Amino acid sequence: MDLDIHAGEFLAIMGSSGCGKTTTLRMLAGLDAPTSGEIRIGGELMNDVKPHERDTPLVWQSLALFPFLSARENVEFGLKMRGVGKDERKRRALEWLDRMEIGEFAERNVATLSGGQKQRVALARSLVMEPKMLLLDEPLSALDANLVIRMQAVLTRLQKELGITFVYVTHSQSEAFAMADRVVIMSQGEIAQVGSPKDIYRAPANRFVAEFVGRNNILAGRVTSQTDEYVCVSTPSGDFTAAAPADPRATGSPLTFAVSADLVSVSAEKPDSANTVHCTLISEEFIGSVVTLFLESVDGHEFKVQMQERDLIELDLCSGSQIWLSWLPENAHVLEGE
Amino acid sequence: MNQNRLLNIILALYVLCIFVFIFAPILFSLVFSFNSQRFPTIPLGHFTTEWYAKIFADPDVWLAARNSLIVSVSTALLATFLGFCTAYSDFRYNFRFKGPYLALILLPPTIPLIIMALAMLAWLSRLGLSGQLWSIILAHSVLTAPFAMAIIRLRLNQMDPDLEAAAWNLGSSEWQAMRHIIIPFSAPAIVSSLCLTAAVSFDEFSISWFVSGLNKTVPVVILEIVQGNIDPQVNAIGTFVFLTSMTLVILAQVFFISRQVKSHS
Amino acid sequence: MKRKFDLYAMTWRLPIIFWQFLFFVGPLLFMVAISFFVVKNYRMTEALEMVNWQKMLSRNYFWDSYWYTIFIAGVSTTVAMVLAFPASFALAFRASDNLRRWAIFLLIIPFFTSYLVRTFSWYVILAESGVVNAMLGQIGLGPFKMLNTHFGTVVGYLTLTLPLVMILQTVTMANVDKTLIEAARNLGCKPLATIWRVVLPLSKTGLIIAALFCFILSFGDFVAPFYLGGSQEPTLPILILDTTKSGQQWPRAAVVAIMMMGTLFAIAFAAIALAYRKGGAR
Repeated sequence: MDLDIHAGEFLAIMGSSGCGKTTTLRMLAGLDAPTSGEIRIGGELMNDVKPHERDTPLVWQSLALFPFLSARENVEFGLKMRGVGKDERKRRALEWLDRMEIGEFAERNVATLSGGQKQRVALARSLVMEPKMLLLDEPLSALDANLVIRMQAVLTRLQKELGITFVYVTHSQSEAFAMADRVVIMSQGEIAQVGSPKDIYRAPANRFVAEFVGRNNILAGRVTSQTDEYVCVSTPSGDFTAAAPADPRATGSPLTFAVSADLVSVSAEKPDSANTVHCTLISEEFIGSVVTLFLESVDGHEFKVQMQERDLIELDLCSGSQIWLSWLPENAHVLEGE
Repeated sequence: MNQNRLLNIILALYVLCIFVFIFAPILFSLVFSFNSQRFPTIPLGHFTTEWYAKIFADPDVWLAARNSLIVSVSTALLATFLGFCTAYSDFRYNFRFKGPYLALILLPPTIPLIIMALAMLAWLSRLGLSGQLWSIILAHSVLTAPFAMAIIRLRLNQMDPDLEAAAWNLGSSEWQAMRHIIIPFSAPAIVSSLCLTAAVSFDEFSISWFVSGLNKTVPVVILEIVQGNIDPQVNAIGTFVFLTSMTLVILAQVFFISRQVKSHS
Repeated sequence: MKRKFDLYAMTWRLPIIFWQFLFFVGPLLFMVAISFFVVKNYRMTEALEMVNWQKMLSRNYFWDSYWYTIFIAGVSTTVAMVLAFPASFALAFRASDNLRRWAIFLLIIPFFTSYLVRTFSWYVILAESGVVNAMLGQIGLGPFKMLNTHFGTVVGYLTLTLPLVMILQTVTMANVDKTLIEAARNLGCKPLATIWRVVLPLSKTGLIIAALFCFILSFGDFVAPFYLGGSQEPTLPILILDTTKSGQQWPRAAVVAIMMMGTLFAIAFAAIALAYRKGGAR
């Protein structure tokens, strides 16, 4: 894989478990060695630099707080290893604990702290080192949902204030999309796509990303004709028009495109549109005010549509209802590969 | 009374009987050590501290006590060091021949002591190392290191494996991480191990008897006293021996169990 | 891959290898070697002769002692397993977790306390005029001769092995899935049949290991048969003791020791094969 991390950015690395995202992070910290290739930080080759000689503090999924030390001693640990004097490191540790709003627990043993408090100690322990880059390995996975939202705010604010690089590994799409400037999607040790959350959401590069992000309708067929602007595709579910890809395809060659579920319209009558499919409603799923419809076309392909609940009321649907789906050609995004 | 309760009572009494059998010799030894009879029996004679006075006045017993102290303390330090090294190697690394490596340290306690004693005697005399106090220490360290290894390994099992890497990540070298993280974390197990290996060494008599030559330890003195005659002095010495080893064992368990409970909370 | 010498890793890995080869493997191999040495004028000289093997293995007293040792250690193992079982069963299934922890705590203590002193204590207790006979005398029985008998030897062995057997049995049975026992009871299995058909097969491995350790300890112990059994029928450890201590005949003692090791290996292999054999109720 080949990846450039920009100074001062918030980069999220996403992927399912075992895709190599944690290994990537551990290689940055020098805890795992790459079998081949180079790792450079600030232009400097890091392959043979031992973990303790690097400036890449990591916030661990398990937090890895030292259980026999107090919160303050945990935060002081790195400074002590760097040879910072006793008074100085105590001052800096307390400063960071205050900044993380847990100054009052400084002398408590870490085992007695709550999950959120431990999380803040772990952050303080890494940040007190004043690194140029902070590595985070699924740091919020052990927290409950409310706390996750609060910690996300804390993390984004810290990153903006400090102006340092955050490399954040997660399997949670909502965490990555909510915080990151750029998102890396990994699959089987390779990078599937790098881009802003919006790019990844609206323009998935390939089938893997489109499926990983979810809520995409993916259709595969063959090219029948194409212009500069549009490409026409014949699929088992019907003939469709999509925005032309950057790389022109020959007529008759296979092509796959994705349509985001929230860009599909629903109507009772056949609409006057280039892309229409007649479907049967299978089920509905409510998440807050957004509803996802699951439908099936005549040829058995599954479609997903996301819409506001108030728009749904007008349609008056029930399971088994026959409806028409449609979308604009420019919202049909052609994927790389077949 | 229903059948189940009756059965429970019978079983409880049975368990009690077994424990009486196991602890009877310890208790009787204590009682007899304060009993005036030369051949203790029931009814007991009168209370006396005669046997204690006798052993306190015996320079051989003092010498043996000193020897035992030296042997068990040295053995404990040596065995715990060896056990710690092995436990850490097993915890941290995977390497070829790890199975035989672990077998090498764990096997000695399964070999009958009398055989180890004979083999040690022959080998150490050959090397010119027999007949000294430290001959016993060498042999005991091999015998007790597996206990140290097991106790410390169990403690390391409870450690989050990220802890050591976290220390490196915060700028400590492997040696510093050992000193600031691994050793403090293992400290309770190290204390337990010191106590237990000292207790085993303190009570061991077969190897000591074979290789010690003229440098007798307490169990060897006991062995030589009981060869032949009944002398209640043995009970007085025995009481001290029991007190020492039980103190060590209980200390070891307190350290180990209390920490285990703590790490679960 | 670069193969650099990792000083840190080797600091922890090498000491024990060095130490065990010098003071564990070395002595055992040397013991095999001296079984081929010869003793002349009370001095052992290096040689490669079978004379010690021939002398020992052709003597009746060696074989008498060999079979007697296997017999008495086997009897003691059986007695220990049978005596311990109901108690372990009660601790595993009828006691609370806390009570069981305390019981095991207590059972560990004798393991690390002086076996020698405990044996001597039995010597006094079991003597002709000792505590047991005095108590039996009160109700008009005895006196019984308990010292210098098989009974005395077995009591001594039990002092050594019973706590260990109890611990291993209790831990093994406490790990048996209790829902399986309830299921058997629900299906109408009688209590004794449940033990026989469910508990025993499920704890087979642990029980065999317990018996094996018990046998190894009894087989190698010289204190019980010497002090409580009177060594009228010497066991192999007593034979080693006599040959080494009185006659300076280390090579012959080595032959006995090697025979003991061989026997123990064979029994240990058989037991482990039996313990981990597939099939049965699993």
